[in-house]
Amino acid sequence: MALDLSQNRYAEVPYEEKERLFNEVKRDMRFDEYLYGCYECGICVAACPSARFYDFSPRKIAQAVAREDVELFYIFLNDSIWDCSQCFSCDRCPRQNSPGGLITVMREVAVKNGLASAQQALEGYGRIVYKIMSTGTQVSPDMLQPSAFPDWGPHVKEISDNLDLWRKALPPETLHTTETGWQVSDKTIIELYLIWHHTGVMDMIKEVDEGLFMILADVMEERLEEEGYDVTFD
Amino acid sequence: MPEQSVLIVGGGPAGLEAARGVADLGYKAILVEKRNRLGGTPDEANYAALTPDFRPAEEAMREMADAVQNHPNVELHLNSTVTAASGSVGDFEVTLKNAKGVEKVKAGAVIIATGFTHFDPGRETQQYGYYEFDDVITLVDLEKMLKAHKVVRPSNGQPPKRLCFIQCVGSRDRQIGNEYCSKVCCGIASKEAIEVRQQVPDCKVFIFYIDMRMYGYWENEIYWPAQEKYKVNYIKGIATEVLKKGDQLIVRGEDATFGRPMEVPMDIVVLSVGMEPSAGTKEMAKVFGLETNKYNFIETIGGALNTVTTSKEGVFACGACTGPADLEDSISSASAAALKAVSMLRKVAQAA
Amino acid sequence: MIPVETLVKPASERQFNVNPADAPTEDYHDIIFQLEKEGEWEVQRVPEPYIEVETKFGRKKKIPINTTWHHKSCGQCGHIPGYSTSIFWINRKLGLDYLDPTDQTSCTAWNYYASATSNVAAQAAVAMRNFAAAAETGYFPIIHCGTSFGHYKEVRQELIHSPELRRQVRDILAKLGKKLVMPEEIVHYSEWVHAMRHRIAELQVRDMSMVAATVHPACHYHKLVREDAIYDPEIYGAQRTAVITATLKAIGVEVRDYSTWYDCCGFGFRHILVSRDFSRSFATQRKIEVMKEEADPDVVVTHDTGCVTTLDQSQFAAKAHGRNVGVPVMSDSQMAALAMGAHPYKVLQLHWHNTDNKPLLEKIGIDVEKAWKEFEDEVEKIKRGEKQYLTWEDVDA
Repeated sequence: MALDLSQNRYAEVPYEEKERLFNEVKRDMRFDEYLYGCYECGICVAACPSARFYDFSPRKIAQAVAREDVELFYIFLNDSIWDCSQCFSCDRCPRQNSPGGLITVMREVAVKNGLASAQQALEGYGRIVYKIMSTGTQVSPDMLQPSAFPDWGPHVKEISDNLDLWRKALPPETLHTTETGWQVSDKTIIELYLIWHHTGVMDMIKEVDEGLFMILADVMEERLEEEGYDVTFD
Repeated sequence: MPEQSVLIVGGGPAGLEAARGVADLGYKAILVEKRNRLGGTPDEANYAALTPDFRPAEEAMREMADAVQNHPNVELHLNSTVTAASGSVGDFEVTLKNAKGVEKVKAGAVIIATGFTHFDPGRETQQYGYYEFDDVITLVDLEKMLKAHKVVRPSNGQPPKRLCFIQCVGSRDRQIGNEYCSKVCCGIASKEAIEVRQQVPDCKVFIFYIDMRMYGYWENEIYWPAQEKYKVNYIKGIATEVLKKGDQLIVRGEDATFGRPMEVPMDIVVLSVGMEPSAGTKEMAKVFGLETNKYNFIETIGGALNTVTTSKEGVFACGACTGPADLEDSISSASAAALKAVSMLRKVAQAA
Repeated sequence: MIPVETLVKPASERQFNVNPADAPTEDYHDIIFQLEKEGEWEVQRVPEPYIEVETKFGRKKKIPINTTWHHKSCGQCGHIPGYSTSIFWINRKLGLDYLDPTDQTSCTAWNYYASATSNVAAQAAVAMRNFAAAAETGYFPIIHCGTSFGHYKEVRQELIHSPELRRQVRDILAKLGKKLVMPEEIVHYSEWVHAMRHRIAELQVRDMSMVAATVHPACHYHKLVREDAIYDPEIYGAQRTAVITATLKAIGVEVRDYSTWYDCCGFGFRHILVSRDFSRSFATQRKIEVMKEEADPDVVVTHDTGCVTTLDQSQFAAKAHGRNVGVPVMSDSQMAALAMGAHPYKVLQLHWHNTDNKPLLEKIGIDVEKAWKEFEDEVEKIKRGEKQYLTWEDVDA
């Protein structure tokens, strides 16, 4: 879909709101190392996989943010950043910009502020977030369900059908699990939950997916309570 | 009595002009050159024509060398390097080393003219394949081919049908640590582009650039003719990669004007390598204890009003050892250095 | 006429000499040790014996040989478990001591890159919790996942430059009863395989010289914090990372070049899950089809979780559409294990991979049906309750 950069694209959003989000991006500790200035040399675009498939240009995002063009920034924040593949091929920028890194920061701001575009981009992604936050591993064997990966062919079904047996037929003792990538010890999970608690990650989840937040909070609070921690995520 | 001679290190265009200047002003010029002949990089790298006037480099360098070689006030030390220096303004003692051994010479002032070296494309941040593909060459390599009137693909000896230049290789790049513009590459690439069009009229020529930096008369003398008369294609956008597909090179970049990724076939890719301080420049900064900037070029301390005075009294620097310089800059600063060095000798003599 | 070689040297005679003095970046070694002196953290030393390799700018990097702590990868363990199994199997074959810990979490960078539901402090705390857990055991971390490796290098940069972040993470770790420990080197498993490649070749039992491979270097291995990746003058004149390629050459595999080697695989983190058409199209059209056309390899070898998955799984739909695909995808650890005689199913666990790998196995002289039956027999025993699991003893029986 063609990117609409027209001036009235988000006319209904007050300029002050756009500026507030822009300043949040600029205040991030990574910002100064991710964006210097832009030559418009196009090196980032040429190396970019997403630029080949979408109307997506790391150059335009870097240029808009470097110009401090708040209106353009807001358009990219909503309509463009989720196309990025986060491969960091653009890191070769001669000005040493990291358009991919800049986009990481912009995504975090979009999530923290619960932008509708961020919620939409992350639809269908909740189970991954749930998995990583609650179990400490991101991709679990039991995710290999044919309904989730129809384009990967019948082989997914074969794995799914044989999952328990095939996991047992793995010599490393830590890999016999099906609900997590490997067996993570209880103490480790508790430590991970405490990290989420101390770094405010749950607040981000709450902004972008209230339902997911509630499920996660329940799971984690209960587990922490069992271990004697009185922690609430609210 | 203070020494009435000026020692000049480096026999390239700047050193030759400085030596001639000192000698013409009636002072002794001691010229030290590490190679067995004069002419510097234009001679050593076998340049074809000079930028911007297309004058044959060999002839121009011979003229400069002759003016010095036959000058009664010039003492020439070829095959010699400076290995140590002591003393101060009016009374330097400089140690020269050559095949015969070590020799000490006295001088009242010193001019450093040790120039630059071409950036090594092996350190390029992009993937240009200079060390992988025969048909990826540098501006310097193309000069040699132009001089020999043999512009062909190194891989198969055939004349190219499509040739491109990629600008800013090793310049204007924070990742490499060379943030500066090398000043001459836009002009040289455009000059070479014209020459390629003259020698191989069937060959299409492209220049991929960030900005074309063709200041002053270079605009009308080179850039416009290249675009208007010789139909050189100027494309805003720098290549990220040079790839090989079959026996053809592919240049990948963004055509920034039209905002689209591009992959275009080329027979020859010429990397417009920039300038870095030469080994001699770095060495002389150490030997004479001169301040250098973060790029290891010799620092001049007079700002815009004095481009040749270094941090050490009595030692001057000119040409590309102080930063990227074209021939016009180098000759101008060499004359300034000669004048300042001689003035310094006279002041010291008057004070004595 | 003047021969052109007298004017311009052919590429084969151009010699690039990398000089650490030209390195444009700071040397993290100096800084992490300086911070240790200042009491900011402890540095976990690379245990001896180690092998020294060169990184992009000619600096030295120590790769531990023994007593390694294996920081596993979610995607590898979850979906292509023969990947990590092969790494462990090679360690055992070489008689080395390693730890496969359960006191390890994912780096959680998938959250960070894909959904942005994380932040700098959380990411750094997760990384340093894992490093502290490794240091407590006395074993040295080896990172299996390319993204974890790249991300941990980023975390190191951020911690090096931000006293505030160090303080924050130190405080969080203190609440967990852990110290702030930075390993002397952040080591990717493929660097370990690279460093061990000659020893691996000494134990080689299968002839691999009939095999032609293409290599996909993982973006997060060599593009993130680019100075900390292995380069070698003998591999593409030190112009591309040497890992995988040098390993394949050491075991006699012919490495073939293709024009889109620098391109990403198309994984995209969120794309592989929610914009799957992108991942599929990129993996096949920009990578697999180009390799087929230009190099016709028997196998694609790469060294990261997402790359193996994307390049392998994406081929099914492309094949259904009659595209020119059909190249099995493996990790360098699986290829090395294969050369050392590992069982294709008990160790490499190739049944978890998608694209047909029988032609490749047959080329190396493996009786595929027999090997599969051997695996199935073991599975049967598990099914019948004769054994609980397939053990390390079983795989080499």
